[in-house]
Amino acid sequence: MSSELDEIQAIFFEECAEGLTTAEQGLSAMAAGDVSPGVIAGVFRAVHSIKGGAGAFGHAALTAFSHRFENVLDEVRADRIPATPAITAVMLTAFDVLSDHVAAAKGTAPVPNDAAALAALDEILATKGAAAPAAAPGPAAPAPVAEPEADDFGFTPVAAAVEEFDPFGFEPVGVALEDLDAGEDSDWTVRFGPSRAALANGGEPLLVVREVEHLGGRVVDVDCSALPGLRDLDPEDSYLVWTLSVPGTVAENDIADCFDFVSPDSVIAITRASTPAPEAAPVAEVLPPPAPQPEPLPVHELIEQVQAVAAAIVHAPAPASPAPKPTEAPRAPAEPAAQTIRVDLAKLDMLLNLVGELVIRGSILADRLSPQDQQRVELPELARLTREIQDNVMSLRAQPIKQAFSRVPRMLRDLSAETGKQVALETVGEMTEVDKGVIEKIGDPLTHMIRNAVDHGIESPDERVAKGKPVEGTIHLSAEQKGARIFVRVADDGKGIDRARVRAKAVEKGIVAADAVLSNEEIDQLICAPGFSTAETISNISGRGVGMDVVRSNVEALGGRVEIGSVPGKGTTFTMILPLTLAILDGMVVRLAGQRYVLPLAAVVESVKPDPGQVRPMSPTSEVIELRGNYLPVKRLTDVFGFGGCGKRAPEDSLVIIVESEAGHVGLMVDTIEDRREVVIKSLDQNLHPIRGLGGATILGDGSIALILDVEALVGTTASASHHALKGLAA
Amino acid sequence: MTSIDMPGERKIVTFSLGKQMFGIDMKALIEIREWEEPTPLPGVAPYIKGVTNLRGTVVPVVGLAERIGWTPSEVHSRSCILVVNIGGNQCGFLVDEVADIVLIKAEDVQPAPDVETGENVITGLVQITARAADGATEETGTMVSLLDLNTLSLTKNMDLAA
Repeated sequence: MSSELDEIQAIFFEECAEGLTTAEQGLSAMAAGDVSPGVIAGVFRAVHSIKGGAGAFGHAALTAFSHRFENVLDEVRADRIPATPAITAVMLTAFDVLSDHVAAAKGTAPVPNDAAALAALDEILATKGAAAPAAAPGPAAPAPVAEPEADDFGFTPVAAAVEEFDPFGFEPVGVALEDLDAGEDSDWTVRFGPSRAALANGGEPLLVVREVEHLGGRVVDVDCSALPGLRDLDPEDSYLVWTLSVPGTVAENDIADCFDFVSPDSVIAITRASTPAPEAAPVAEVLPPPAPQPEPLPVHELIEQVQAVAAAIVHAPAPASPAPKPTEAPRAPAEPAAQTIRVDLAKLDMLLNLVGELVIRGSILADRLSPQDQQRVELPELARLTREIQDNVMSLRAQPIKQAFSRVPRMLRDLSAETGKQVALETVGEMTEVDKGVIEKIGDPLTHMIRNAVDHGIESPDERVAKGKPVEGTIHLSAEQKGARIFVRVADDGKGIDRARVRAKAVEKGIVAADAVLSNEEIDQLICAPGFSTAETISNISGRGVGMDVVRSNVEALGGRVEIGSVPGKGTTFTMILPLTLAILDGMVVRLAGQRYVLPLAAVVESVKPDPGQVRPMSPTSEVIELRGNYLPVKRLTDVFGFGGCGKRAPEDSLVIIVESEAGHVGLMVDTIEDRREVVIKSLDQNLHPIRGLGGATILGDGSIALILDVEALVGTTASASHHALKGLAA
Repeated sequence: MTSIDMPGERKIVTFSLGKQMFGIDMKALIEIREWEEPTPLPGVAPYIKGVTNLRGTVVPVVGLAERIGWTPSEVHSRSCILVVNIGGNQCGFLVDEVADIVLIKAEDVQPAPDVETGENVITGLVQITARAADGATEETGTMVSLLDLNTLSLTKNMDLAA
């Protein structure tokens, strides 16, 4: 029982999260100058639905605050208060407090102090209310709710609950504003009884009912009381009257439109539940015994069957009592076209795993069959279907990275308030789609990177002016997909990494030896070392010396890596390079020292069988290949991996695979190419830990394991060297 | 063959590494597999022999003898891999020979004397009576070192290194 309630609560919080996202997007759009009615209404709806749910679950503080917020939004929506930038700014602050309230209701944060935000909201209402008399009583109305909320939490649940559970009771006390509100809230009740003429004209009641259902309505009751005994039944007459409930958010005209083609002599009544509908009570009472009392004739059973058919039109999930459901009102029936269901992520993961197994089994099967059998129609068809299933399952998990980015604007507002630094945000590529698992895991690293950029990167306004930079700092947040990797960048235009200081600090903390020779890149990497922080004073924001360390370990746990670029005086760029998906890869299977490896096909440019002399040593430890007049570096993977024990293979007995990387084209020397296939990525770090140079492992058709190569890591010499050095130091 | 777990009693799997007998908690054991050459990994500690495929999951295989400081095991016909669950992660241990599954009492376990300077992988020592395979051997006590699997966790090690 209580677990059921918990589940419903969980859904409520999910909806809150969605509502907050919607509201934030809307408010951001308003801040950017888009004050169209649609945008404002979107914000209003979002806040309103949070309020509704909060009331139902007795989150008094949240209800009270969202209520006051909603009042202002409502006035703005009704154009009684202009959406000026100043007012939008107040609403953005109010939004932040609202998010905190949601977190508090969830129990993940303390109840915020909302006095300032409330005062600002009230002031808007009060000042604009003077100009527009209609809104004048506005601020007065919420007072009884809000006042106890401010200082006495024990008392409010009652007030809030009463308001929400019994909006009609609250109604008489309410003023114009509340009227509007409740009217918006309550569902439409539609009674529909087609006349005989309507049926004679070929009207099909079912189609009309369907149309109403399409608007989000549903059949609450079918009145069969007029139905005569079978003996007296006139098949051409109409006996049934349907009662439908339509969410209050649907416009009356839209409902009326459904009945456009029904003969006017039919019963069509559209009423708001709030206006004490004479039907409402009887309906609720009639429903529990849905069978009225027809004459107990021999045809009794037949009639029951007729009723059963009629009742079948009533939707199965029709609630037993339609009246007490104010919380369900904002179920967003606005876009009936895009229907969604919520699915537990664990179920999707399970599905993804199973499909992965299916793919592997499929290739095992293909391997076991003779070549003639492999060409049979069934097998390619099966493979195609499997791949389609896989693609679809993958797309279920793909989400725009916007979800991870959406928390940034708010963070920046908080940070600016705390530090007094002015920061503008530029976002690019937020629609890039990434696996949900990746999105969830980059939240923390992203937070740390942004904090770091504001706290350490961007200078104070005075400093910026002195340096001839714009007063407002800029953080550029971008996401882009390159091959099978996703690049998330946080770039600031601040002062860059102070390498001398970083080095000094690292020496002081014993992270590096005082006489260590470090390149600039190596010094930059030091800021990711555990326990490193150069902040002079430990601030609230960063400086506890855990931030960048967390970034690196989180990103590496995902099979990605962090790159740092910094230009003193110009700014710093952090790049998280992440796998696009945690699931499949189009790969080339190569053989190397008796083992099989998979190279991501996305990185492969071409493969070359070198002629004698085409690969030449450039230094004792490096080689180049001459390709159409260009010299490209060549790496022997056996050397990179330290498998070089068995003597060097002559280049002409090997293959050089030219791969594309951040560092340009590079040749990788392998023994042979074996196959090209899609492989399911199995993470190594699930049971082990990430290994530099490997992107994971996969299981081949014969059940053996092949390691997946991470081209960027293999090729990036300097980065990898410093990385190894650092790992050694850190350990 | 089902037996009811008595309080204070637990089952351990005993196995040999060289001439030493070791034991791990039966509850942690997932399965015992025949030795099969794992796929070697580059750039890892030498005691990590590689990874193997355990019904679709990539599981690392650790040379247990090397890991706890003994001479590396040589693979022979009775070598096998104990696949265990350590805090939700799976790991395979190469051992020389699996001996038995025995029931031990908590009061029979002696804490390991603190002699080692480094990490202590042995939680306790217990004397068990070897079951005579041929029936001829008289009862002799054998010392079994109980291993602390958490210390052997690969993922935990990673946390320290990173």
